[in-house]
This record gives sequence, C-alpha cells and structure tokens, in this order.
Amino acid sequence: MVILETEDIVAGYGSGPDILKGISLQVEAGKTYCIIGPNGAGKSTYLKVISGLLPSRKGRITFKGADLTGWRTDQILRKGICLVPSDRSLFPDMTVRENLRMGGYVLSDQKQIDQRIAEVCEIFPILGERHAQQAKTLSGGQQQQLAIGRALVLRPELIMLDEPSLGLAPKISKQIFDSIEILKRAGMTVIIVEQNARMGLEAADWGVVLDLGKNSFIAEAQKVLQDERIQELYLGKKH
Amino acid sequence: MTQISQIIILGLSLGGVFALMSSGMTLIFGVMRIVNLAHAAFIVMAAYIAYWAFKLLGMDPILSIVITIPVMYLFGLLVYRVLFAKLIDNPRFVELTVLITFGLSLVIEGLLSYFFTGIYRSTTPRYATDTLNFGPFYFPEGQFYATVVSIILLVGLWALLRYTRLGYAIRATTQNRTAAKTVGVNVHQISMITFGLGTALAGASGSLVSFLFTFFPAKHMEWVTIILALIVLGGMGSLIGSLVGSFLLSALAAYVSFNFGPTWSPITFYLALFLILLFRPQGLFGKKMELQ
Repeated sequence: MVILETEDIVAGYGSGPDILKGISLQVEAGKTYCIIGPNGAGKSTYLKVISGLLPSRKGRITFKGADLTGWRTDQILRKGICLVPSDRSLFPDMTVRENLRMGGYVLSDQKQIDQRIAEVCEIFPILGERHAQQAKTLSGGQQQQLAIGRALVLRPELIMLDEPSLGLAPKISKQIFDSIEILKRAGMTVIIVEQNARMGLEAADWGVVLDLGKNSFIAEAQKVLQDERIQELYLGKKH
Repeated sequence: MTQISQIIILGLSLGGVFALMSSGMTLIFGVMRIVNLAHAAFIVMAAYIAYWAFKLLGMDPILSIVITIPVMYLFGLLVYRVLFAKLIDNPRFVELTVLITFGLSLVIEGLLSYFFTGIYRSTTPRYATDTLNFGPFYFPEGQFYATVVSIILLVGLWALLRYTRLGYAIRATTQNRTAAKTVGVNVHQISMITFGLGTALAGASGSLVSFLFTFFPAKHMEWVTIILALIVLGGMGSLIGSLVGSFLLSALAAYVSFNFGPTWSPITFYLALFLILLFRPQGLFGKKMELQ
C-alpha cells in the first residue's frame, strides 16, 4: 500500500533557484527508503518539503489519501509524519525530559505525552536515566537518540531521518542504525537521507538516487548497492 | 559597616525595578534577536499612561499596571505586526531591528513631546516620599513597593516560561528556532506573543518608575543606556543574567553615588557598558555570538 506519494515536487529557498526540480516518489507503508545522492542534490530539501518546513512551488504531496500540499508543520505532525533534522536540532538548555515534552508539543493531552515519553525511554533507556540532564551535556550518539526519541513521542507512521550518522563515530553510527531497526520492526515507514550511502542502503528496502534535484534512479536497496555505476559514484568501489 | 549595608540596600531596592525594566528587552532579544532600542520609550509611554490615570482618575500608580500591562501588550502585538512580521526572514534582520527600533523610539519621543510637552512629570502617591524602617536600616517606601511588585512579576514570568505550554514554546524558540519549527511550534505566532509580553513588561515598568523618577519624553535615552548596560552585563538574551546584572550594577551605582556624588551614578552604568563590551562582550551568562 502506498502511504506517501509526492508528484513532481519543485521547491527552493526564498527567491533563489529551484533546488528540487520535479521529484516524484511513491513510498510503500512499512518499508524503509534510503535516499542517496551528491551534495546539493536536494535530499534534505525534499524532507523539509514533506514535513512542511519549506513550501513547495509546484507539485502535490499525498499521505494516507489526504492532500497535504500547503499544510503547516504542526498539521503534518499530527497527521503522523515526523522529521529528525540533520544537525540533531535539540533544545540545548532544556533537559532531556523537556526536549521529549517538546516532541509532543502538538498534542494537548499531558497524560498521553507522559505515557509516550515513558515508551520512548523503554526504547532508549539512556534517555530515562539522563532525563534531568541538559541536552547539551549528552554525547553525540545520545543526542541523536534524543532527537529520534523526540520524534517518536508522536508515534509517527512515517519518520524521516536526515543524516542520522552525521558526525558520529562508526561504532555509534551502528548503534543508531540498530535503533532504526527497532522502528522498522514496529511497522513504521522510514525515509533515511544518508551520506554514508552503504550504511544507509544496507538498512533499507529501497534505494533512491537523487541528482540535480531529480530522482534519477529507484530500485531495491540490494540492487542499488550492487549497481556498478552507483558503486563508483557514491559508494567508493570495494575491490 | 552599617553605612555600607545601607547603601547596598538602597541599591538593591532599585535593582528589582531595573530587572523588570530590562527583562522585557532581554526576552525579546532572546527569542527574536530584535535589539529593541525603543524598549525604554515604551516604558516612558506607559509612565505617561500611569501619570494620566493618576491625575485624571486618581488611580494609584502601582495599581495602574492593570491598565499599562494589557494596553502595552496590545501595542506590542501591533508594533510587531506592522514593523517586524515581514522582516523576520531577512538575513540582516538583527541590524535592521537596531535601526527600526531606534527610529521608533524617536517617533514615540516626538509624539509624546507634541501631546504632553517636555515638562518633567512624576506621579506623587503618598508612599513616593515616605520611608520604611527595619532596625537600623531604612527603605524609601516607594522603592520598596516597586521592587516587591517587580519581583512578583518576574517570578510570574519565570513560572510562565518554566511551566506553561507557551513558556516551553518561547524557550524552545529562543534556544533553537529550526528545531522549534520541526516540532510544530508556530514561531511567528510565538514571536509576536513574546514581543507583546516584552512590551507588557515595559508597561508594568512604566507604572512603577512613574513615582520613582521624574520623566519627560526624551528620558528614554538615559534609560535605554542603563538597560543596555544591565543586559549586556548579564548576557544579551539571558533573563537570569539581566536579573543578576540589575542587582550588581544598581548596588554599584548606589555605592559610587554615595562616595563620589550622585552625578557619577549614571556614569557607572555607561562605564560598565563600555568595559563589559571591551572585556567580556558575551556578558556573565551569555553565549558567545557565533560569527556567520
């Protein structure tokens, strides 16, 4: 079943040029997609458009049959789409718990938020242990767990992770990808944008290649991994 | 010893009011990066409201905060809507706000001069000139009440920021605008409300200073410098910083005034502003501004 569909999305910043020049993609529910491509291909921009942080100039976004084009971020969050931005984007002077509470900002029921926070702390026990600590005192990996945890407070059906391994040591990146595995098992649809293309594709069902603001290629992640041209361009050929 | 303690008490009893005067400006800077040079002009405006409420209605100036707070809140929303709403995404926003708010302060000064002339005014409730005695120490009664009211309002502001949904949204917007947008905070709306809140704090300050100091339309020039000194010492955008800065500097000013004469008291603030900018531009609690 297709849960998210974007048709011919065109978008850019301010009065600048188009960064996205017509991206069309159908996302199957419960699958994991990894978007790869060179710098400036528009990967992060695409996620911003889906989450309502950047308006599209053209095109249509449908999610679970509803036309989300032109919706505000808070409406899109309530509908079940969450973004985990690339710089982890936490509230540095707030405690871990306050950060998680901000994850439920669009919900009005405080009890529900508290219950969801408890669930998140089961997935990421470290967040429960450090709940009273300021977010800026956490390590890089813990901050990424908090950023993902904050998105999970809304129990999204679609979670989008922008460069989850950015700036993390390989061992920590692996932990983060292990936690993505948990999201997949919970039945969430996941879209990952990843510089470390190999790692991203290995975690994914489908691979999408973006280039110059267009999707140039989509295939099963295993096939993308084995594609010789892709290997040369994005994966650093293994001999 | 008693003498020094008395001087410090005098300084501290003004500190609460200075803290209230500066809190609105630092709040607005923290959330929106608006350097509101018209903040003191807003205080003067509110002082005039308190003055006319006192003269025409016989209203107690402390009580007049029930007028100045809501009126200035609405005025703040209007100013934000008209002057800043469209500029907020401009890359040179901070510089623009300095110029715009400076211009705004001159417009307010001009209008106040036109309508109310440049005559020195102040409200004169009974307590403005009385003193309270506590053992060997005395408090000017007006300063004492004003500081108590200021502290109550500041605690209220703190509780609002700390415990309410609006407060969470304001703090989130202050700390990371992008992240706030990501979790669904309408940062434009929050900015507007925060500007209103900051202006409302100027409103309350205006009521209180109306009986502590004499004022006239151009008085805001002196006050804005003092406020800048306080919040720069504390760290721009840090509320706790502006509180600590206010108490430190007002105690210091009282001390200087006693030892070197009252003319030197305002100079304490200007000199402090100069020295802080020279040696610790981020203030006591501020973060170093990142160069972009």
